[in-house]
Amino acid sequence: MKTTLFSILFAFTLSFGFAQTGDKEVKIKTSAICEMCKERLERNLGLSKGVKYANLDLTDKVMTIKYNPKKTNVASIKETIVNTGYDADEAVADQKAHDKLPDCCQKTAAPHSDM
Amino acid sequence: MFAAGTAAGQGVTGTVYELADAATKKVPLPGANVFWAGTSLGTTTDAEGKFAVPRSAQSNKLVVSFVGYRNDTLRMSAVSEVEFVLRTAQSLDEVVIQANSTTIDRLSPIQTEVITSRSLAKAACCNLSESFETNASVSVSYSDAVTGAKQLQMLGLNGTYIKTNVEDIPSIRGLATTFGLNFVPGTWIQSIDVGKGAGSVVNGYESMTGQINVELQKPDSREKLYANAYVNNFGRAEINLNLAHKLNDKWSAGLLTHASTLRNRVDNNGDGFLDLPLYTQFNGVQRWKYQSEKLMTQFGVKVLHEDRTGGQVNFDPEQRTKPGPNGSPLYGFGAKINRLELFTKTAKLFPDQPYKGLGLVLNASVHDQQSYFGFTPYDGRQQTLYGNLIYQSIIGNTNHSYKTGVSYMLDDYNERYRDTTMLRTESVPGAFFEYTYNNLDKFILVAGSRVDFHNLYGSQFTPRLHLKYQLDDNTALRLSAGRGFRVANPLAEYFGNLVSSRTVVFREKIQPEVSWNYGASLTRDFDLAGWPGTLVLDYYRTNFQNQLIADVEHPGFLYFYNLQDRAFANSFQAEVNLTPVERLEFKLAYRLFDVKQTMGEPFGESVLLPRMMVNRDRVLFNVGYALPYDKWKFDFTTQWNGKRRIPNLDPGYDHTSYLDMPTDIAPAFFNLNAQVTRTFVQWDVYVGGENLGNYRQANPIIGASDPFGQRFDAGVVWAPVVGRTIYAGVRYKIKR
Repeated sequence: MKTTLFSILFAFTLSFGFAQTGDKEVKIKTSAICEMCKERLERNLGLSKGVKYANLDLTDKVMTIKYNPKKTNVASIKETIVNTGYDADEAVADQKAHDKLPDCCQKTAAPHSDM
Repeated sequence: MFAAGTAAGQGVTGTVYELADAATKKVPLPGANVFWAGTSLGTTTDAEGKFAVPRSAQSNKLVVSFVGYRNDTLRMSAVSEVEFVLRTAQSLDEVVIQANSTTIDRLSPIQTEVITSRSLAKAACCNLSESFETNASVSVSYSDAVTGAKQLQMLGLNGTYIKTNVEDIPSIRGLATTFGLNFVPGTWIQSIDVGKGAGSVVNGYESMTGQINVELQKPDSREKLYANAYVNNFGRAEINLNLAHKLNDKWSAGLLTHASTLRNRVDNNGDGFLDLPLYTQFNGVQRWKYQSEKLMTQFGVKVLHEDRTGGQVNFDPEQRTKPGPNGSPLYGFGAKINRLELFTKTAKLFPDQPYKGLGLVLNASVHDQQSYFGFTPYDGRQQTLYGNLIYQSIIGNTNHSYKTGVSYMLDDYNERYRDTTMLRTESVPGAFFEYTYNNLDKFILVAGSRVDFHNLYGSQFTPRLHLKYQLDDNTALRLSAGRGFRVANPLAEYFGNLVSSRTVVFREKIQPEVSWNYGASLTRDFDLAGWPGTLVLDYYRTNFQNQLIADVEHPGFLYFYNLQDRAFANSFQAEVNLTPVERLEFKLAYRLFDVKQTMGEPFGESVLLPRMMVNRDRVLFNVGYALPYDKWKFDFTTQWNGKRRIPNLDPGYDHTSYLDMPTDIAPAFFNLNAQVTRTFVQWDVYVGGENLGNYRQANPIIGASDPFGQRFDAGVVWAPVVGRTIYAGVRYKIKR
């Protein structure tokens, strides 16, 4: 039992733990505003199919995404951002999703820090 | 804010960074000035950009300045750990605050382990009693083989010696001790603080070995909706639903609900008794919260109903006095519990003086329990009123702070066992004062004392002392000492032993328990060839001046009497946590108990014996691995539980003396748990197993074939009664 568990654990570690080569990177400008936006976007992208890494720089609102081109593409990454309620480069945020965001994360919110 | 810790009383620590590499990388900034606006109280950052500054009574605006960079000013609330990111004079003003989230509360002067909701998710099932699986300090055991009641254990002593609070309200005490751990569903829990050794006097006089505080999900939580469903291979099913609703800027409402049941009759060991009791529980909390800059108040109501049935497999509670299929009656156990609780918590805040606060906690509860063991009834009702008023402030600057206040506790007990009625009303007003000296978090001293006027047992003086000394940046030493006092409820605390043919005998009037606890702990962060880790060593000793002795050495009797001579518990624990690569965590812990008590009163003897059912050695190993964003999470825990003394149950044995008594020892065993969680944006799906090694105690019930006979005893349980448990569940969350 014990050995089985360990080997399952080990197998998962091998298959998921190490970044596969052939990953692509893309930078997308978003309409994110604050830390809450950053957390929301990184989580939603990070958990979406084929995405290996997602990081939002709040100073220039640019999101850096590493992904597996066999599993996803830039269009569907942008779609995830749009459906989360944010602009992604030229694509405009889904209005319904945007309106559901807390006030501080909506486009009308004044620039602020999370205090 | 009014937790046992001293978060608001401490100074402020933090790190100052500058942005380098085209604003993509944070680099520590040494030599920056950090000071309170308009004062001369300040410091400069060290080589790693770190600083520590005491709070000031004159200002709550903390300024960071450095030539060539824009000054940054931060209005400090109760936060005591901050991060400043300075920008060159042209860039935008921005501040990032990060809260510390480690498993050991590094700032607390009391050795405190924090179990976060993330680590709670590792133990998917189901309530507070199952929340300590990966914790080395607290262990959980079944009290018997029939009722399903569980007991915590810490520092070698029963959970009754731990002060268990829910959001700073005394919760699992009195008659609720028996099943109380099952009354806090896991999905309601936001975090658990486990404090070892003497606790703060602010929370009362009852904590002897430690204090546990459970924080529940808040009405203003970001999770608007949190639903959970769980099922296991024995047919236990659970649903939980938490709702948090922001009514407007200031008001929010929260609802926590739970329903669970087991209807499936399980007897895997073939002893004719249910391995798990049948039960149904409904449990809910509704509360409202108001939060403004100057006032925080919340109030709410908790209700609980639980119905349990255990005993022989075909036992039917409706037919309990009637003969069974073969003429003789079937043995059954039943417990119906109803609880109602009202609470309010109010805090007056001083936005310009964050170190100052005034808080009031009020609580009223009724616990009603009707139970029976075969033909023996045991009913109890406890009504409790509790109030605690706390004021905290500083003397001059935040190097010197204090908490003071008054409290009141009223307990009205009405118990009936067989045909004996026991009534007791305790009325205890008290007052406390606790002073904290904090020298830049390098040295912290907390000296507290309280005096309580107990209507039955006279005035009680409770001094407590805590010291924390930072030996270097990575090493902290903590010392603690303090007195504890509590009034025992023998039948509720030894409920499991009542599932037997033992006759309960009170040898004398039971006096309150009094103990002194002394402890030392060392926490060290280290780096093992690039692998960050933490080492924790601790030693605690609890000395009893009086202890309730529950004597089960005599077959057929359960004797209760006061301690004649000595009782003590020594506990030593060593724990190593290691993170070889990011998101991979190992934990290895060993703990040793040496617990003894003087017994023999029924024969006029006085013999120091090892406490029953306490295993001397225990080893815990946990490994957890998570993918980024917790997409997949794996967790595996194994515990090795050493040998322990159990009652001698040889039917031919005639107990005549406590000296040279033959000793029965239960063997050591392993327990294995594992879990896998897959996270989606709104869903979590998990599968796991408990007791995967399928270890079961061979004959958990003595005399199971003749439950109304002389030898029947279901209270000698030291290992799992039920075998391997496989479970699966889902969590669904909608975040704001």
